Amino acid sequence: MSCNDVNVSRRSFVGQTATAAAALTIVPGVFLHTVAEAKPVDQAVTSAVRWGMLIDTAKCASGCTACVSACNTENGIASHGRPRTDQQWIRKVTLRDKQTKHEISLPMLCQHCESPPCVDVCPTGASFKREDGIVLVDRHICIGCRYCMIACPYKARSFAHETVDLTVDYQPRGKGTVESCTMCVHRVDEGGTPACVEACSEAEHGAMIFGDIKNPDSEISKQLVEHGGKQIRADLGLNTGVRYRGI
Amino acid sequence: MQQFQKRMHNTLITIAGLALLAFSAFAFASPEGKPSFSPKVPHPTNGTTECVEPEDDMKKNHMNYILHQRDETVHEGIRTKKYSLKECINCHVPKDSTARFGDDQHFCSSCHNFAGVSIDCFQCHMDRPMADKPTGDRPTGAKPLGKNPHGAQISKPVSTEIASTPTGAASTKGSKQ
Repeated sequence: MSCNDVNVSRRSFVGQTATAAAALTIVPGVFLHTVAEAKPVDQAVTSAVRWGMLIDTAKCASGCTACVSACNTENGIASHGRPRTDQQWIRKVTLRDKQTKHEISLPMLCQHCESPPCVDVCPTGASFKREDGIVLVDRHICIGCRYCMIACPYKARSFAHETVDLTVDYQPRGKGTVESCTMCVHRVDEGGTPACVEACSEAEHGAMIFGDIKNPDSEISKQLVEHGGKQIRADLGLNTGVRYRGI
Repeated sequence: MQQFQKRMHNTLITIAGLALLAFSAFAFASPEGKPSFSPKVPHPTNGTTECVEPEDDMKKNHMNYILHQRDETVHEGIRTKKYSLKECINCHVPKDSTARFGDDQHFCSSCHNFAGVSIDCFQCHMDRPMADKPTGDRPTGAKPLGKNPHGAQISKPVSTEIASTPTGAASTKGSKQ
């Protein structure tokens, strides 16, 4: 009898240990995931994450420019009344099939390529890719040669032709340098979402998803697995971080 | 006789020199007794009494701290506040200050003007604390964009019609050439 008791308690002990071990194995995974989402401010970004976007053109409303205005407000981009030379980090593009006359609307922005041509051509090293895949311009080093603007197949970069009237202190911008979408790096570093994605969701379109494409549990990865996501000019083999559905 | 004249001459020069020295000490002394020929650097008005490093160190090395932090922030995403230029400005320039970089009243230029050291930080960075984080006219649908030329002037949130906008062009071109 007492022997049975011992056995029962041993079984329960083994069971409890197994549960505890399982919990211990899960917990570090969950913890790592959380760290990846919002890194501590004093730590450098790592290649453990790669930030990306998935844009569903079926949900992107034709004529809606919520993402464009949100970007302009967030980054303090104002027009000088000269559209040909005004800066533009994100723009709405309409594609029309000449045969079927079917039109789709999509936001075009820096595609945050894995092998960015802008970085390849930059003579000073100002154009660079962060460890987490965000392609940026270090305006301290940029000499304004605009070689990157020519190299970019997506026409994603702009040159600041005129003195910038700054309205935000987290996004320093100045005349004589090239600039483009930063994927709202100041927000992303604090665990936030880019302004365009937020605006799209607030406008109840939800056409843009932002997340870590290296994390299989992230919403963007799940969507990519389920529906796929096309690259624009996939033939160039740039492996873009911004993918589109429905093109 | 000649030797006496030479000695007198030397003595006079010494006396004149001492007198000049004494005069200059009075002339440049402020009422508190401190010499006023150093630049008048405005101190923070937000109650902070200590800088991130001792004052002498900051005077000598602030540029190195800022430069180091600059590269870490831009390239590695390290956003600590200690040596951030933004935090220098937030602490040293009052929010309601009208002084801009270049004015003698501005914290940075008060000393840089005096020392004749030109910097280009404020060609891109803000020389004053940011007024308010723009909450933005975050639209619930598409909204008129004011001065923005890149989008449509539309009022309906979602429309199946193609608005006749620069973005409605029948090509992959955006509104920009």
